[in-house]
Amino acid sequence: MSAQGPFSSAHPFSSGFLKAWVDQAGAFQEMFARLMDQSTAAMPPATPPPLLAPWKNFIDAMGMGGFNPEQMFPGTPALGLSREYQETAARLLDLSRQFQQRYAEFAQQNATIMQDAFHVLKKRFDEAPSAGKTSADLYDAWIDCAEGTYAQAAHSERFARLLAELCNISSAFKVERGKLTEQIARHLDLPSRAEVDTLHRQVRALNEAVRAAAASPAASGAASGSPKSGPAKASKPPRKPRKRVKK
Amino acid sequence: MNTATDSLADLLKNAAAMQERGRSVLQSMLELGDVKVGTSEKHCVYSEDKIRLYRYSALARSANLKPVLICYAMVNRPYLLDLQPDRSFIRELLLSGLDVYLLDWGYPDGADRFSGFDAYVDGYLRRCVEFVLNEQAIDSLTLLGVCQGGTMSLCYAALHPAKIAQLITMVTPVDFKTPENLLSKWAQHIDVGLLTQSGNVSGDFLNLVYLSLMPFRLTQQKYVNLLQMQGDRVQLENFMRMEKWIFDSPDQPATAFREFIQWFFQENRLIRDELTLAGRRVHLKDLTVPVLNIFASKDHLVPPSASVPLGAHIGSKDYQSLEVDAGHIGLYVGGKTRKSVPAAVTAWLQARR
Repeated sequence: MSAQGPFSSAHPFSSGFLKAWVDQAGAFQEMFARLMDQSTAAMPPATPPPLLAPWKNFIDAMGMGGFNPEQMFPGTPALGLSREYQETAARLLDLSRQFQQRYAEFAQQNATIMQDAFHVLKKRFDEAPSAGKTSADLYDAWIDCAEGTYAQAAHSERFARLLAELCNISSAFKVERGKLTEQIARHLDLPSRAEVDTLHRQVRALNEAVRAAAASPAASGAASGSPKSGPAKASKPPRKPRKRVKK
Repeated sequence: MNTATDSLADLLKNAAAMQERGRSVLQSMLELGDVKVGTSEKHCVYSEDKIRLYRYSALARSANLKPVLICYAMVNRPYLLDLQPDRSFIRELLLSGLDVYLLDWGYPDGADRFSGFDAYVDGYLRRCVEFVLNEQAIDSLTLLGVCQGGTMSLCYAALHPAKIAQLITMVTPVDFKTPENLLSKWAQHIDVGLLTQSGNVSGDFLNLVYLSLMPFRLTQQKYVNLLQMQGDRVQLENFMRMEKWIFDSPDQPATAFREFIQWFFQENRLIRDELTLAGRRVHLKDLTVPVLNIFASKDHLVPPSASVPLGAHIGSKDYQSLEVDAGHIGLYVGGKTRKSVPAAVTAWLQARR
């Protein structure tokens, strides 16, 4: 960003202001970090993050949340007529708990990155107080510091593992959610994902068979010119052979 | 303290001015409406399922070179190469007299979730190559692969070397496990089987990953810089075209995506000579045709260290690499490179006619 940018009307800031700004930003950062700590500690273990809340409501609406023995009596196995639903609901709740824990760790990690970035920024201005003359310079310096600090953390094994765990838990949640949807679809006599998958597999197999047949020597001998589209595209059905009429 | 208070007052005044600029820019963006992309004239010559093979209309006298088939990545849309008339890699090739074809993978959906990586390389790509060869009554063509499409092109060319006269790879990952490759580091612990168990991988998910590579620049600074474009319609249009392209990410077919992540990112099979596609081993050493490998020095998605090793792993004696001072996207749309890179491609091809 140049001095002709959105902040061009700003006059050079004094080093006093810069110090005040950085101190103020540092104070906000500390407050944010404290809030993060408190929010992590204060979060009840069964509260799903916002992403999962609609599914928690859905489970409750299906009458499964309230009947989850694992939730009421931890360690109790799923029993009775709704055993499978109880298991699915228990797994969904367990996964949302896991997600919440990992997400809190992830948020804490991000808070640390921000804190480190502020320290780098402060150090930069301590070393060269005249470096950030305009708010545009200050902003660009902040982005540089934040991106640099983030990149350092993002390349670490810990960051990669945490990100992967979040992704893997979300994937597992999606799989469980799919099982539940599948059961509901069957009850309502709606086409289920499993049915559609079977059809897709059959179409794929048919396509491959048609391609193989078209590539056989007999077919290639009969073909003339290049097709404008592949065998998957719908073509006219073959004509019925004419009946020969004896004269 | 007074100085700080005075400056704070200035800061607030500036904030108000910025808000006004922001309002003005947003208003201008609304007035722009939908921006046009992919402006060079082309027509579909072959289609199959979701894929389309396009042939571009000539813009200059033929250079009498082999036709160029561009194989773009599946994770983004190929119109980046023809974003607008004055920022078009394809248009520059056409102006050099090249005959250009483009393979567009389209937008895969649930019907494609069981299509494996080999279906794309040894299926769709192979049939597109064969179509061009039949249409032009020639034995071989120039294959130009971009990013993931470059990796796919390497696999295809290694499996069917006789059908390729020259191979050009652009910002193509070959060694997927280099220390600079952040995307690869993140991919190592992902349970990609579980990720794809419930279907295709959404384009939104991939976009989130890309944004996470440089979150402060890509989600904040970029939009703050927009304020500088106040009153500049051309710049705003350019910005909106790029914005449209960045977030126009097709969903990825589950099986092909799982195989790509597992085989390439996690197991690095291509460079370890352990890749099998469609029942055949992919040996990079079988690639003996002339190869031009173009990579970008500031690429944060495919770092140079991921592309550079290609020369050491192929069998070609005519190998040339070209380092361009640009980023992954800037290579095609950047101020200097948008003309210099296609010019380098044409010159390299002409030297091998």
